[in-house]
Amino acid sequence: MTNTKILLVLSTHVYSDKAIEYAVRRAREEERQLVAFFLLESELAEEASERFSDIGFTGDRPSATLSESLMREYRQRGYEALGRAQIKAMEDGVDFEPLLKEGPYVSTILEVIRAHGIGLTVIQRRKERSFLHYFKKGLSVKVKEAASCEVVIIE
Amino acid sequence: MRVEIDRRPIWVILAGKALRPVFFLLLALGFILFLQLPVPEGLGTGGMRAIAVFLLCLVLWVSNAVPVAITGLFAIVLVPLLGVLPRGATYSLFGNEAVFFILGAFILSGAVMQSGLSNRVALRLMEKHGGSPKRLIISIFLLAAALSFVMSEHAVAAMLFPIVLEISKSLKLRPGESNYGKLLFFALAWGSVIGGVGTFLGGARVPLAMGILKETTGSTIGFLDYTVAVAPLVVVLLIVGYIVLTRFFPVDIDGVENAHKVIVRRARALGKVRPREYAVGLILGITILLWITIGKTVGLAAIAMLSVMALFVLKLVKWREIEEYVNWGIILMYGGAIILGTALDRSGAAKWMVDAIMTQWAQTPITVIALFSLLAILLTESMSNAAVIAVLLPVSIGMAGRTNMSPEVLTYVVAIPAGLAFMLPMSTPANAIAVSSDYISVRDMAKGGVIMFLTSWVTFNLMAHFYWPLIGLR
Repeated sequence: MTNTKILLVLSTHVYSDKAIEYAVRRAREEERQLVAFFLLESELAEEASERFSDIGFTGDRPSATLSESLMREYRQRGYEALGRAQIKAMEDGVDFEPLLKEGPYVSTILEVIRAHGIGLTVIQRRKERSFLHYFKKGLSVKVKEAASCEVVIIE
Repeated sequence: MRVEIDRRPIWVILAGKALRPVFFLLLALGFILFLQLPVPEGLGTGGMRAIAVFLLCLVLWVSNAVPVAITGLFAIVLVPLLGVLPRGATYSLFGNEAVFFILGAFILSGAVMQSGLSNRVALRLMEKHGGSPKRLIISIFLLAAALSFVMSEHAVAAMLFPIVLEISKSLKLRPGESNYGKLLFFALAWGSVIGGVGTFLGGARVPLAMGILKETTGSTIGFLDYTVAVAPLVVVLLIVGYIVLTRFFPVDIDGVENAHKVIVRRARALGKVRPREYAVGLILGITILLWITIGKTVGLAAIAMLSVMALFVLKLVKWREIEEYVNWGIILMYGGAIILGTALDRSGAAKWMVDAIMTQWAQTPITVIALFSLLAILLTESMSNAAVIAVLLPVSIGMAGRTNMSPEVLTYVVAIPAGLAFMLPMSTPANAIAVSSDYISVRDMAKGGVIMFLTSWVTFNLMAHFYWPLIGLR
């Protein structure tokens, strides 16, 4: 048994019941605290509103409203995802801490790992959104390479 | 202070940092090398330089390495700098009627949004007609299209998106899984795209095409003439679009009571119609009427500017408010595109490209229409539709002499298909926002988009061959 915490990473575009089940099972079996972290990927909302501004030539107001509306939606989804993880953790008698933060994928996850003294990170493989994924590493692999703890990638 | 250590291999870090400078360095080298190439027979030095600027802008528009408006600046600066056109003549193209028409139309559209009129119309129509799952989808689809007849399709998508998002939340639709969720966002995106090609006001690309047509040939197309020419395509696409969507994603919910409550709540929150909304609506209506009736005589830009003046004289909008709704980058983009088109035409580059390249592939009106409409639809999937106009239109107009086709027809052949982007999220902001919602995946969009792409191309060609001659377009 170890005292370090398990970090379950959920994010705007990556959500998996498999990852939740795996993280909760490990936390129960190893009697570790589970930190469920929902990452709000703000750059996706910004990307969409920039597209409206750059190509659609919409003004600042409609672009900002659009971005706010997307972020509100992502935040809501975050609370719902954390709620589902919490229910599963409570059913299994696992100590649970929810966390919701906004930021870029890799650096924000690494920051949470450091700040919370995480010993194991459970992460779902994040698909790249363009054909570039054939040529470059996925973001989840980047997290695994840079993290100071064990990282399990759920396929 | 925390020091973050980048643990990637050094060559990866350096390559990542060098990518952008290397790209621009290679682009500059390619540009200079191109200018050093021997000038082909039949093409002058000015034409060669115009083609170099054209290729540079093409790469920048496709790669999105800089905002599309800034690519317009490249044309504005390089055309006089390389001596393709005199400095005075280049900058005077900014005074083109199309630029002022676009500006006026965008300010008018901003006033309609700012007054709350467009939001109210949208909610009232959804409240009245969206009582069942299918009727709600039809309402959003037709509403997005109808609003895009009088406002920029991008503004329509941006305005309707929060409403559609709230509707999908109220119905507890699961992103990526719910068919109805997909239908809602497709109706929003495709409705805006289809409506956007219906009139001059759906986007700035048609006025841009008119601007290039006028600068290169002196002729023009009327507001109503365009709408009459494109109407069958819009009707067919709306019908096929609805059929494709409901076949691919059958409705998987029983009722929309909760969504209806949301719409009613939002509509009630707007309160009574304010005099300002009536006044803005009236000005918009009168403006469209004037564009239709006397647009050809007095000019579309003059009417647009008169309407803008009326908005301010009647204190219906404030300049600060308009600034929030209008993106001034549009002037650079469209000014730059008109300069590029004019440079290609006046330097003889467009004619040379037609003679040297295009005539091998297209010699008869049928093949010219098929080829240019296909190129425009394909290109618009990967670049801004205004950029497609800037790239293809000077060449297509250059085909007029060779094929005995009117320049007006050759303008339609590029201007209309350039707006028909259905397949990819990168092609148009309405598609991008639909995918960002997560209710639609890129695969969903490509799946339905392929059918819409084929339908729009085939329908456009049939319309050009059978319908256009009936209304005097040959």
